[in-house]
Amino acid sequence: MKESPYWNPRHETMPRDQIEALQLRKLKNLVAWTEARVPWQAKRLKAAGVTSESIKSLRDLQRIPLMTRDEWMEAQLQQPPYGPLLAAPESAAIRYHLTSGTTGRIPLQVLDSMKDWEWIAEMWCYGFWGFGVRPPDIVFFAFSYGTFVGFWGAHYACEKIGCLVLPGGNMTTEARVKQILTMKATVVCSTPTYALRMAQEAKSMGVDLAGSAVKRLILSGEPAGSIPATKRLIEEEWGAKAADTAGMTEVGTIMVFECEKQPGGTHIIEDHYIEEVVDPETGQPVGYGELGERLITSFGRGFIPVLRYRTRDLVVRVPASGCTCGRTFDLYEGGIRGRVDDMKLVRGTNVYPRAVESIVREFKEIDEFRIHLYTADGRQDEIEVLIEIPEADATNADRIIVELGKSLSQAHEGLRFGVKKVENGSLPRFELKAKRLQDDRIGIGTAGEPRLTARRPRCASSWAVRAPR
Amino acid sequence: MRVELGSACSSLMACYQGLVRVLKNGSELAPFERRNTLKAVAALWQVVNGLDLDPGHLYEIGA
Repeated sequence: MKESPYWNPRHETMPRDQIEALQLRKLKNLVAWTEARVPWQAKRLKAAGVTSESIKSLRDLQRIPLMTRDEWMEAQLQQPPYGPLLAAPESAAIRYHLTSGTTGRIPLQVLDSMKDWEWIAEMWCYGFWGFGVRPPDIVFFAFSYGTFVGFWGAHYACEKIGCLVLPGGNMTTEARVKQILTMKATVVCSTPTYALRMAQEAKSMGVDLAGSAVKRLILSGEPAGSIPATKRLIEEEWGAKAADTAGMTEVGTIMVFECEKQPGGTHIIEDHYIEEVVDPETGQPVGYGELGERLITSFGRGFIPVLRYRTRDLVVRVPASGCTCGRTFDLYEGGIRGRVDDMKLVRGTNVYPRAVESIVREFKEIDEFRIHLYTADGRQDEIEVLIEIPEADATNADRIIVELGKSLSQAHEGLRFGVKKVENGSLPRFELKAKRLQDDRIGIGTAGEPRLTARRPRCASSWAVRAPR
Repeated sequence: MRVELGSACSSLMACYQGLVRVLKNGSELAPFERRNTLKAVAALWQVVNGLDLDPGHLYEIGA
């Protein structure tokens, strides 16, 4: 029998009306479960006039109140450590994890049962299988295996698929590169930033990664996995195909993955989630091709029901027909485009870190960079990009500085960007989520942030960074 | 909309239901029997869920 390219062939190729019917049934079950088991949530649902019986179509989803990270954090603070969000006794849990701490005052703390933990791996299986990972593969995880959930589920997904798993926690970058080579790993999992970091390290060791056994990289943890220039650079450095995925601790696993056809976006796992895209200010739905904030409703982790959770992730949803793989799961074109809170207003111009990165990565000579915002003379916002160019001579470095400054300015309505070459190795390197933006402004010009609508383009093509080719 | 089960899937479903029943009623199970069966049920839950058969939740039996 021919092997299926899909992890769950029936669901992944289901006609849209059937996907929606499946989602509706699961939504009713989820609301009923939540009403019965989580009084805190039940109260919110009741206040909005929502009961499981009252849900007749997916349009009724919009009657369910939105849930924010702030509410989750507040609930945890009032009733530590988990807040009044658990639908099952703590004694049924086998795993404890935290959010990575890139957003918010306190990390969110979550629990999973044995069944939920299996489900978390199951979601990763959609992604790994969909990108062509199979039992003979040898999969290396460049991951620290701590309380951040990160690639934990991916590790177990690969065991489930039948791969040989190499857990690369607690290792130096050099040791990781060596193990990838000596164990002939065929798949490597890391953040996009760390994939580039390992490539740098390999170069300094005199190793040609493109000649290694690695054929696939599975990226997660940062939007960069879908930034074309960054992805292209990773694929060139490794001589391998790279797939983007995105997940969140609030649901424990990934909700989108890129398939083997690499359509320039990620498929939504629609048989396990309902994803909505809304205007981040009004909360009103936006259509296909429009930029908005994703809301997630998850049917997986029963321990902590998640209904219409505001992710703050910016996405552009397009129909499944945007990919030729045969899946009927819609796509997020360009993956996660950034965060609602990421945007910085500099002298009236909106600046998104992702957009800056996509331009910086056009310059292969740049190893690492940082975006620095500061206040000049106590009154004016300035933006500069600090870059490391390890192998450039002075003339070449000068050329890069001039061209990069020009490109950044052109892509940002003429905003002046300072570009400075800094000493090699002076900028921080990241294993998990990279934090490349440093905002040292003293408050002038920052009033009103985040401010998205003023210049928010309404379609995917105009959102895309206007980077010069 | 729900899937028509073939014989292999029917067997899996019956297996899942049988194991859940054992865990609910089998107070005499030894630790190795109970814990390994829980692991099996947690995995089979994914199959039953993937077949749209509303497997419910398993927290009360420890999975």
